[in-house]
Amino acid sequence: MSKKEVTSVGRRDFFRKAGLGAGALGAAAVGASATESKAAEADHKATGSAGYRETDHVKKFYELAKF
Amino acid sequence: MAAIAKQFDVAEEDRLRANWYALLARLLASAPDAALLRKVASMEGDESDFGRALKSLGAAAKATAVEAVTQEYFDLFIGVGGSELTPYGSYYLTGFLHEKPLARLRVDMARLGITRAEGVAESEDHIAALCDVMRGLITGTFGEPADLATQRQFFDDHIGCWAPRFFEDLEAAKAAAFFMPVGTIGRLFMAVEAQAFEMAA
Repeated sequence: MSKKEVTSVGRRDFFRKAGLGAGALGAAAVGASATESKAAEADHKATGSAGYRETDHVKKFYELAKF
Repeated sequence: MAAIAKQFDVAEEDRLRANWYALLARLLASAPDAALLRKVASMEGDESDFGRALKSLGAAAKATAVEAVTQEYFDLFIGVGGSELTPYGSYYLTGFLHEKPLARLRVDMARLGITRAEGVAESEDHIAALCDVMRGLITGTFGEPADLATQRQFFDDHIGCWAPRFFEDLEAAKAAAFFMPVGTIGRLFMAVEAQAFEMAA
């Protein structure tokens, strides 16, 4: 396995032991409903400069959360 | 341009992390409405620390109502003449709002291509905004998923240095009923994140 894969396996195991997955179904339901419906409207614009991407992602959360 | 968001292949554990960030962001961004309270009330947890905290939160959601939780949110985070807590990084790090930590955050967000929505009153170092940035970095809603090194840098520079204290304060806040288990969840999750980044380094 590559170092990256080893790290990935270690992390997965760590999160599992930490209980992140076990109680997370509800968290997923609440969090996902809040964000993923909006994510579908994401509008990604790659600009010319190297690697820089301009998105209005944060807006989606804020609008949703009625900031 | 109405583009469809790309779905990236994100590892399962990273989806889980993103979900916890999303949950914290959603709960802390504004007072929960009736629909959110119902959803939270239906959450189930196991016997892990996280599971127990989720169960407490579910019970707290059942025990409150929109009016009460709106007041609680106000007393904790907004307040007239001072709320019990001030959920901003700059305040935790310097004792004042809008100080250098916020300026540094804005520089980093610009570099990552993330901007605040027009009409948003809260500054970017609000805990909910930071949780949402982490969620987006993990899942790729800002363009593509950020690698762990980028995630870690952002976490260390802007979240890990104060948010654990904030969540402890929230857990212990006088006005916190519904938000007490939110503080617990945040505290537990911050510790897991910090340790996991440490492992990956």
